[in-house]
Amino acid sequence: MNRNVLSRRVLVGVAVAALALTGCGSNNNSTESGGSGGDGYASLSGELKASGASFPDAYYQEVIEAFKGEAANVTVTYNATGSGTGKKQFGEGLVDFAGTDSLVKDTDGVAADSFLYVPTVAAPITVSYNVQGVDKLQLSPETLAKIFQTDIKTWDDAAIKADNPGVELPNTPIVVAHRSDGSGTTNNFTKYLTAAAGDAWKLGSGDTVAWPASTQGGEKNTGVAQIIKQTNGAVGYVDLSDAKATQLSFAAIKNKDGQFVEPSLEGTTAGLEGAAVEADLSYNPLNAAGASSYPITAPTFIIVKAKYDDAAKAELVKGFLKYLLNDGQNLAKEIDFAPLPASLKEKALAQVDKIQG
Amino acid sequence: MTVTAPPTTRAGAGGPDLTRAALSGRRRFSNHLATTAIWAAVLLAVIPLALVTYEVVIKGSGVMSLSFLTEDIPNSYRREGGGMAPAIVGTLLITGMAALMAIPLGVFGAIYLNEYGKQSPLARLIRLMADVMTGVPSIVMGVFIYISWVLLVGQQTGFAGALALACLMLPVVIRSSEEMLRLVPDELRQASMALGARKWKTTLTVVLPAAISGITSGSLLAVARAAGETAPIVIVTGIVFAPNSNLFDGFNTALPAQIFRNASQPFEAAQDRAWGAALTLIVIVLGFTIIARLIASRFAIKER
Repeated sequence: MNRNVLSRRVLVGVAVAALALTGCGSNNNSTESGGSGGDGYASLSGELKASGASFPDAYYQEVIEAFKGEAANVTVTYNATGSGTGKKQFGEGLVDFAGTDSLVKDTDGVAADSFLYVPTVAAPITVSYNVQGVDKLQLSPETLAKIFQTDIKTWDDAAIKADNPGVELPNTPIVVAHRSDGSGTTNNFTKYLTAAAGDAWKLGSGDTVAWPASTQGGEKNTGVAQIIKQTNGAVGYVDLSDAKATQLSFAAIKNKDGQFVEPSLEGTTAGLEGAAVEADLSYNPLNAAGASSYPITAPTFIIVKAKYDDAAKAELVKGFLKYLLNDGQNLAKEIDFAPLPASLKEKALAQVDKIQG
Repeated sequence: MTVTAPPTTRAGAGGPDLTRAALSGRRRFSNHLATTAIWAAVLLAVIPLALVTYEVVIKGSGVMSLSFLTEDIPNSYRREGGGMAPAIVGTLLITGMAALMAIPLGVFGAIYLNEYGKQSPLARLIRLMADVMTGVPSIVMGVFIYISWVLLVGQQTGFAGALALACLMLPVVIRSSEEMLRLVPDELRQASMALGARKWKTTLTVVLPAAISGITSGSLLAVARAAGETAPIVIVTGIVFAPNSNLFDGFNTALPAQIFRNASQPFEAAQDRAWGAALTLIVIVLGFTIIARLIASRFAIKER
């Protein structure tokens, strides 16, 4: 009996110790928000929660890290859940703002006039390839469509030769790599083919499309990049940041003005300048006009509430977005994202000022 | 194999000779064969385990340091340094809270099933439901908690993660604890009753201590499973980059979610952090196991 009492005490002791251990990673959770519309960012304090697109995640995290240095009392958390989830959570009121690559649809659960689009950055989607002996490749939209539909089976096909005069092309079979998960990158790439290749592209557009059975699927941009890296004869679409990190070579794509342009940040910003911007600041830079624009460019937005219930929260959102659009734009190039052209940036800043609290 | 087969009994030796030399060659051969096969099977089973442990330790120890355990998670994937403190705090708190909810409930449930309910229709229904729940994918549990709790309180919190993990642990705890209680011989219960102890007293002082070792291992399997769950954490707790010790307010994170997040990045720094987080998670689960074994051996009835 004695032993039993003792062992029960030991049990309680261990439990208390365990609880104390788990509790000691404590912090003084600064959730008190008392932001004021003061001069600098330093006077802001509080917490912002956000979720959404994974494509600009690297850029947003970089900006958040830098913003910490400016506004020490603000905690901004961005959770890369994907555009769809981000919009849903924004509609449910779980997050203060959301990142999205696609525009808000009726089915997303966000009321039509309750939010504003703020364009943030853009990035080119590369057509990356791995063909031994070929280090320079040019493709027109029609050829691109035929390749990704597997109408063209080998690299020495007449259509590819026509785009690449004077280049020695091997007889290697083409392996098409695409995203196996639903993705904004697939959406933008297929939208581009629909817009630029016209009738030659038959698979339609969307977050997923019905790829031919002989193609290979990869998880996320990194998965597609791996397939291309490991397969001779492979071709696929990957965002510039991941393609560079995986050291792939990319094709130059024929733009609307008939020029072959390699994916670059300058070409992307040029494409943004050539894009038609709507009144709500949504814009479509795919297949944009301009001699130097790279045609396959993915835009991304942050959606914010037009009116926040809490005035301090509105100030925080404004403060963060202003930082992102001013100082934050300088960080974009370092990590292979294209900053907004000056005209669009002005419009975006004006949009931020419309936020009410 | 054919020649040396002496008779197994010798006249006048006072009983059968049981030494190995007395066995027939054929039997000795099959004995060797079976022993070799068993050893081979053990080795085969250990190879993947050893490889996984080796890989995680080698790759994880590269970034392992005190600062890795105590520093915040860097926002930028490509930046080197930083740590996993928020995820470690999150894992300990969320899994601890889940265990605190699921283990008592599960053990009480098992006591009801084995000591009181037995084969009654209600007990059979509970057993069936527990079995069905064991097979529910963790992501479904995450979505369930998202709808029934996160949307209700309007916030993604660490507690929501704990709820989801508790739901995952509960059926495992119930079923394993019940099996352990069933193994306790009825003679023990009868002896206790014969001495005049009531049923609750018998259960508390005789049956539970007799089964505690098994119940602890069962609960521990459940804790280990929960500590490694990724999907529900990703769905219901959000993410943090600085430790959040408040389960009821604000986002949180856990090691598996960080492994998932960092491992899928093309940047070496992020992948290193994922390996480090994996090593940390293994060590934490190992720590749980050792603590539970100590409790069990201290608490159990000593047989010898």
